[in-house]
This record gives sequence, structure tokens and C-alpha cells, in this order.
Amino acid sequence: MLSIQHISKEFGPVKALNDVTFDVPDGQILGLIGQNGAGKSTTFHSILNFIDYGGSIQWNGHTLSAEDFDHIGYLPEERSLMTKLTIEQQIIYLARLKGQPAKVIRPQIDDWLQRFDVKGTRKSKINDLSKGNQQKVQLICTLIHQPDLLILDEPFSGLDPVNADLLKQAIVAAKERGAAIIFSSHDMEHVTAVCDRLVMLRKGNVVLRGTLEDVREQFGKTELFVTTDWTTEQLVALTGVASVTHRHGNRYVLHLTDAAAGPAIFDALTQGHYIEEFSQQPPTLDEIFRLKVGEEHV
Amino acid sequence: MSKTWVVTFETYLRQIKSWSFLFMILGPFVMIALTVGISYVSANSSRSSQQVAIISDSKVLRQSYLQQHQDGINTKITTTAAAKKALKANHLAGYLTLSTSGAHLRGDYHGNKAMANGLKAQVQNFLTQYQTIQNYQAAKLSPKQKQTLAQTPVLKQHVATKDGATNLAKIISFWILITMIYIILITYSTITAQEIASDKGTKIMEIIFSSTTATSYFVGKILGILLVIVTQIAIYLLGGWAGYGLAMHNAGIKRLVSANQSLVDSVVHNIVNLNLLYVLLGVVIYTLLAAYSGALVSKAEDASKAAQPVVMLGMLGFFAAFPFQNNLDALAVKILSYVPFFSSYFMPMRVINGTVSLAEQLGSLVVLLVTIGLFALYIGRQYQRLMLQTDSENMWQHLIHSFKH
Repeated sequence: MLSIQHISKEFGPVKALNDVTFDVPDGQILGLIGQNGAGKSTTFHSILNFIDYGGSIQWNGHTLSAEDFDHIGYLPEERSLMTKLTIEQQIIYLARLKGQPAKVIRPQIDDWLQRFDVKGTRKSKINDLSKGNQQKVQLICTLIHQPDLLILDEPFSGLDPVNADLLKQAIVAAKERGAAIIFSSHDMEHVTAVCDRLVMLRKGNVVLRGTLEDVREQFGKTELFVTTDWTTEQLVALTGVASVTHRHGNRYVLHLTDAAAGPAIFDALTQGHYIEEFSQQPPTLDEIFRLKVGEEHV
Repeated sequence: MSKTWVVTFETYLRQIKSWSFLFMILGPFVMIALTVGISYVSANSSRSSQQVAIISDSKVLRQSYLQQHQDGINTKITTTAAAKKALKANHLAGYLTLSTSGAHLRGDYHGNKAMANGLKAQVQNFLTQYQTIQNYQAAKLSPKQKQTLAQTPVLKQHVATKDGATNLAKIISFWILITMIYIILITYSTITAQEIASDKGTKIMEIIFSSTTATSYFVGKILGILLVIVTQIAIYLLGGWAGYGLAMHNAGIKRLVSANQSLVDSVVHNIVNLNLLYVLLGVVIYTLLAAYSGALVSKAEDASKAAQPVVMLGMLGFFAAFPFQNNLDALAVKILSYVPFFSSYFMPMRVINGTVSLAEQLGSLVVLLVTIGLFALYIGRQYQRLMLQTDSENMWQHLIHSFKH
């Protein structure tokens, strides 16, 4: 388990991290979300000992040492490989730096290339690959030594939906193997799809934490998904409705000021008749994200 | 295998498999081959135009000259007409006509330029000898009288040849050594600085530092580059040994080496001693500085700038050594032989001069070794921070910040 306790980091007058605390248990995926500059990469750099920080970061009860590096897989936000090497040379070089013998890694390469559908052979030069395929090779380098701790900084960035699904499968496979996984993303859809828990940072402070359900429930069921013949103006006029989003056709989302207003709105809309859709939900992660970001500007 | 060795061999293999390494290795051999080839072609093409023809109505007189002198003589031309034609076509430097008028011997030289001093002395000597013989015959002298007249004064030079050879050996050793140090330092400082700077700010460094410590990676890089240097020196030593073996098949070169055996032995002795250790440690400390310099640039694109400060320092040491080549006991040489970065040039100079004790040499070596150790430790500790920073500060601002840490 990765345990981050009260870590802080300042860059001159800027407080990049302020008393950040969270755990990533084995076999769980934690999504670290936040705007650019919120402190996500600084958190990762602290875990990897790239920078000095205040507080404590422990892995399985001890401070991370050079020996623990062998069990970490790290994917930085910006992709970078040694472009003059072949795919095989690159994978083996980075795996050997993780303490893996070449003879163990070499037989696995073709299988990984196939799994990620890389367009190229093990002898292809990195330089000759497309950007997307280079990204896949980098993911293979991150995963091939079967790390116990995976740190992925914006792993879905630049991937098309098909390749994003391949990555999700790989992340879930690592989780099922028992790895502790922490990743950052701006895309709440990916976070929702794979994360067990999430932590949201804003200006270096933790502003949200918990399981996906817990976080959403914190905001109450303030979203009403309805299908009705009423007009937008009529819906906005209902008591407890803050705003209305027109989805398409006669489908709307009503944003409530108070979840308790739901039953009264149900009665008003149905008036004892059948309606096709009435679903009261907590806000989506995307909406929560926008909401929390919006608070900063209030 | 430790991670340091993984980095070492990756750096080593990448360098020696590169075209630039091949060009660097072959460069001197190609230069030597070109120089020898051009000289040979040039010598062959100009040989005939530098020759002189000997013309004489007297076959005996001509043969007598040719028996004594054949170098630089065109023996094929035997007539004045042929000689004039060849001279006009610039195939001859000139022609010498030898003639007798009664008992008087005469030589006339025709050419576009005056006779070279060597040729003039040679002809003058021949004419004098031949005329003397003619005179003796005309005077009908007895053998005893001839012997008396043949007496010549004695001039003998007494030169301390041993000292002269030793001084020459010192000068040759001095130039070989400081040129060797200079070339290796300049070449590999540039390679090292560029190798390190090209990694600067790239995310591959984050991946690498998430796998191994910065110190381990840094030491691996330096060892990789040092292995490349050792490979180059080994190739040159083998090439030199093979070339020497081949050259010894040439009678002229063999004669030349035999005639100067003590000089060759002295030069080899001056170089193959503690001085080789100074060359190696000099390369190590300059390579460390170059790596540090490479890590200080703002981004990979500035790699070409990275080597400049190191190259300048190397040049300073090289050119500072010049004024002292004939004054190896100067106070400045003594001081600089203890100063790291300069001691690699100046202590070998003192060793060559033979005026430095073993204790002084070891003292200087200890200073150099301690400096290398401290420098490596300092850079190793700074390396990760320097390599991961991607701000827009220039090299000197990074240097100042580096000192503050």
C-alpha cells in the first residue's frame, strides 16, 4: 500500500502541495484529478523522490528506497523514448534498469506488442513509429516488469477511444494482479470507468476524496433526468429547479437547488399519468469537477 | 548486472556504433594516408624536374662523376640538345657540362635557377678531386710525394651527444604528450557534454530516475564514455604497433629507427610512466566537468553550447604550457602541476624534465584524485535536480543555483 501523509511542497512563494494525505491500497485504482497546476505531477514527483518535500510517503510501511524503484512503473505526462533504439532495445534497456534480466523480458515482447496492437515489429526503430504507437511502446515499458505500484500521469492523453480501451484493460489487469495504481486525468469519463477511489486537488489542497459513489452522494441527488412535453421555460419555473439543460428532443436535465424538491416535481410533471423517464441522480463527476473548479473563482 | 553497468554498456554501445565514432577513429588514419599519398605523388611528379643531367664529350669523365654521385641525376640524358629540350619542358632543373681544355678541367652549369648549395659543393668537390689527379699525373710525382701532398688538416668536433639526445627526447615527449592530452580532452569533452545535454529536460530522464538513482546513472554514463576513450586509445595503440611492424619491413625506416634507438627509447620511457596515469585522470576530470556543463544547459537543443566552457579550459591549459617547453623548472610550472585541470598538462612536463621527486608526483596525484572524488560526489548529488529542471534559465544561472543547493 502506498501511504501519503501530510505532504507539502513549496516552489518559492507558490504552495504546490499543502498537507496532502491519501492512501492507495494494493489492488485498487486511485484517480488524482484537478486542473492544470493543481499539484498532480508534483505529487507524483514527490512519490518518486524527484523533489524534496515535507511530510511522509511510505510504501508497505517504509520510506521508498532505490530498491523499491524496481517495483514501480511510471508513465510521465509527456511521452519520451530513445528514438534511435529499436522497440526491443528500448523495452529491454528500461526493463533492465528495473532489475529485469533481458532473457526474461525478450520472450514477452511480441505478446505485449500484439496486446497493444502496435504497428511495427520488435526490430522497428522508435523513430519510425507513429506518435500513437510510440505511446503504446512507452506503456509497454511501464507495464512489462509487472510493477506493484503504477503511477500514470495523464495516461489517456492522446489516445483514441480504441486504444484508451486497451489501456483501461491493461490497468484493470494490473489491479486484478494486486498492483496499487494511481493515475491523473482530466477526462472524468476515464476516471469514472476505472477508478475505485479519487482525490481531487485544487491549488495543492485536497478538496474531495473517497469512492466515486461517496463523492457523488456528498452532493446529493440534485440532477433530474426527465422526458416530458413541458417547455424549458415551464421547467425552470418549477420550485426547486435552479437551471435546465436541454439534452435533445423532449429530454431534459433539471438541476435542483435541493434534492428534497424531487417528489414535488415528480407530482407536477406526472399529475397521475405515466411519463417515459424520471430519474433523480447525484451530479456526474464531470459536473462535480466543474463545480469545485467554479468554487475557486467565486 | 548492476544498473550502473546497464547504463555504462548502453552508453558505450550507442557511442561506438555511431558513424561519428567511426569517423573519429578513421580520421587520423585517413589524414596520414592522404598526407603520405599526396607527398608520394607530389614527390614523384616533381622528382624529374629537380634532376640534373651530366653531359660530357669524355665518357670517362662522365662515368667518373656518375660513379660517385647518382642521387638527383638524370642518367638517361646524354647530349646537350636533349638536355636543352628537357630543361625547356621543365623536366630538368639543369644540366652540367664537364669538359677538359688541355690539362684544365671545366664545369658549366645551365639551369633556370642557380645550383643548390649541396649540388654546388658536390660538383666543386668532384672537379677539385679530378683536377688534382690530373695535376699529379701531369707533374709525374713519386708515390711518396703524392702521399705528402695528400695530407689534409684534421678538424674534429667534441659534442656532448648524450645531453643533446636527451633534450631532443624531452621536447618530442613534451609535444607528443600535451598534444595527446589536448586532443583527447577536447574531443571527449564535446562528446560528453552533448551526450548529457541531449538528455536534458526529456521525460526519458523521469523514467530513468524512477528506475535508478541519479548517481548510479551519472557514474554509468561517465564509465561508458571512458570505455569509449579506452577503446579509441587501444585501437590507436594496436594500429601504431601494426604500423610500426609494417614500417620495419622498409629498410630505410629500419635504418632510421636503429640510428635513433636511444631517442626512441627515451621518448617511449617519458610517456609510458606515471604520465599515462595523468592523461587518464585528466580525461576523467575534464569528462566530469563536461558532464556537469552538459547538465547545466537549459534544454537539449543547447547541447552544442554545453562543451564550450570545458573546451576553453582545456585550451587554456594547452596554450599555457607552450611558453614553458624550454623552461620546465619555472615556478609557474611547479604551482600549476598541483592545480587540478592544469596538473594533467604541467606535472607530466616536470616528469619529462626529470626534476620532480616521486613524493611530489604522488602529492599531485592525491590532490587530483581527491578533487575528482569530491567533484563526482557533488555532481552526482546535483545531477537529478539539474537534469529534471526545464525552466528557461541560462547555463550560468543554473550554475549559481547549483552552488546554492
